[in-house]
Amino acid sequence: MAEKNKPVVLPCNGIDKEAGAISRELALLLLEKGADVICPVLYQSNPKRYQKKLESGKLLVIDGCKTGCASKLAREHGLKIAKKATVNELLKEENLKSGKSPVIGTEKLGLLPAWAERLEELEDIVAEEGGTHFKTPVSFRQFAFDKFIFKVPEAGYFFNENDCWARVEGDRARLGVSDYVQQSASDIIFFEPPEVGKELNMFDEAGSIESTKTALDIISPVSGTVTAVNQELVEAPELINSDPYVAGWAVEVALSDFESDRELLMDCAGYFDYLNEKVKKEYRKRYGGK
Amino acid sequence: MKKVGVISCSGESEPEGTIARNAVRLVMEKYRPGATVSLCLPLYLAGDEGERDFARRFPVIAVDGCGKACAKWATEKYSGKVQDCVDIGELLKEWGVSERLSRSHPGRLENEVTERVAREIIKKMDEITG
Repeated sequence: MAEKNKPVVLPCNGIDKEAGAISRELALLLLEKGADVICPVLYQSNPKRYQKKLESGKLLVIDGCKTGCASKLAREHGLKIAKKATVNELLKEENLKSGKSPVIGTEKLGLLPAWAERLEELEDIVAEEGGTHFKTPVSFRQFAFDKFIFKVPEAGYFFNENDCWARVEGDRARLGVSDYVQQSASDIIFFEPPEVGKELNMFDEAGSIESTKTALDIISPVSGTVTAVNQELVEAPELINSDPYVAGWAVEVALSDFESDRELLMDCAGYFDYLNEKVKKEYRKRYGGK
Repeated sequence: MKKVGVISCSGESEPEGTIARNAVRLVMEKYRPGATVSLCLPLYLAGDEGERDFARRFPVIAVDGCGKACAKWATEKYSGKVQDCVDIGELLKEWGVSERLSRSHPGRLENEVTERVAREIIKKMDEITG
């Protein structure tokens, strides 16, 4: 294994759930295969101890559950996460759930060597630097209702009725939520991305967001494979509030059948009219009148 | 439905600020829902174009806690003349309310004053909307 690409594994290590125990066990299996392992507890109190290892390898984070403590720890210390896995997602693929006991069940123990191999082969999260996609400047149309101003891009985006968009360029799309969603949800405080490599059908969940008011799934307008997630958004979910259509993108997808998908989507002009009517309808529903 | 913007004093240090905010909420949620669009003074001052644009296009009533008239001042500086205003300090004098009001724990008196201020706002709204 080339030293520069040596995995440096940061497991969740949670000791009160089975998922935590599995993440630790996976880290130990990868250690046997030559990876370095970071103890999250020691890292908290003495991060310098792991500095050299982190500089020389690629960080693989293994979270136990959605709380994502290992990811949070990495972000808090400004570490670049190259690869990421969540034990609960791995279990879900096998139709299994994490048990409440912190002791790993026999059936699950048997799965771990294969999972460790898979983790070694995980693709990097971050999309290629300097790619040519999604660099086109975006211009907007807007309309006002009461004191609210709603923006919709003028071209290049496609929307579903769940107010989620796909910005399509070539065989790729970036997905996100509309200005209407961010205004309705108010301050977004959490973005849970999907796994890179996840196959999406149209209307599948492509991550979720949580605001001070509500929690919402990002409903994919397209089908394809997740090739990247917006790590900046994980760290700063408020980007959806400040720039929902560009910096606030959530997921990048390699499209599998956009020609079919687009039949069920609205283009920018269509969504502009749809949203205008939707806002008025909501008002009428709430207060009556025309 | 004719709409009227109501911009409330946001005074944190005086009880009149609390009364102003609560009275506007009463008007917006209980007495004139749909017709009342509350404008957020801090957001307005911070430059929110939605708030400022609304105040340019629709009549606005400023509800101020005291003679500093921050809500009225901000509206007139950034959007245009207010249609009407309510000065709670003046109303309290007029109503002979001389007791010290609580700014954070509204009791019977504070609630009573809040209701009366709400009715003053409604009166002005109804004059505007006809």
